[in-house]
Amino acid sequence: MKFSLARQALILAALALVPGMGEAVYFRHKISWQSPIPPSELATVAQARAWGENVIWADARPDEDFARDHVPGALSLNEDRWNELLPQFLAAWSPGKKIVVYCSSLSCNASREVARRLRKEAQIPDVFVLEGGWEAWLKSK
Amino acid sequence: MSGPSTLNVQLSTRPQFPWRIVDVIVAGIFIYAGAIKVLDPVQFANDIDNYKILPWPVSVALAFYLPWLEILCGLGLIFRFLYRGALSILTALILVFTLATVAAKVRGLDITCGCFGHASQHWSFPAHLLTNLAILAALLALCICERAETRLNRPA
Repeated sequence: MKFSLARQALILAALALVPGMGEAVYFRHKISWQSPIPPSELATVAQARAWGENVIWADARPDEDFARDHVPGALSLNEDRWNELLPQFLAAWSPGKKIVVYCSSLSCNASREVARRLRKEAQIPDVFVLEGGWEAWLKSK
Repeated sequence: MSGPSTLNVQLSTRPQFPWRIVDVIVAGIFIYAGAIKVLDPVQFANDIDNYKILPWPVSVALAFYLPWLEILCGLGLIFRFLYRGALSILTALILVFTLATVAAKVRGLDITCGCFGHASQHWSFPAHLLTNLAILAALLALCICERAETRLNRPA
């Protein structure tokens, strides 16, 4: 094709929009454009506390942070030792119990990743990310 | 008789085989990377967001758009369709990916690159950087080769 380089690049860039938009429509219910975590998958400290015994806490922070301090009753479940920790975590979980995952703060990603993997790999539907993470827990104490 | 036009014809029809192999390998890498990300745009949006450079809605838009751009440009290299445009886009993409990776490292972010989905989840930073640089070198070589070819084929 005898187009100039810029025109060729523009044509390709425009062509890629078509399947991209189609995919965006196809996945519209699986991803939120507003926030990485859909509001339905977030839980506040107050909400999680209100669930009482019906909740199991997953600490997605590194081992050292977990060893230093954690939410009472929480189990460590981080991605560094995922294969090792997941079976222990699942042994403690029972169907019907909600899982609340937290990492250090509002800006960390670990809790989101762990929650996503729990849903995808362990097929557990009731997994929530603690809004504000460990920092929010400390503030609420 | 061998004038300049004969010389041009001879040069433009020189064996293209080695460069076509490079074309196909580079294209294959981008098509594979694109296809994996097309299958799981949610994961790719999260991977982009982990770099902490772009707002979430932009990460989502790119997660839907970039994989198709990679695939189309890869196909462009294989079938020599809009070839120069595909080469320049892929070169720009790999440059941006490499810079983002280095920037993430400098800022102390411990993240997965998201380049090849879960296959690249446990790549170390040097492995990631080396792969990107090797792809960049191959793309630059293809750019240079293509420019030389265009110049040779231009009528005197």
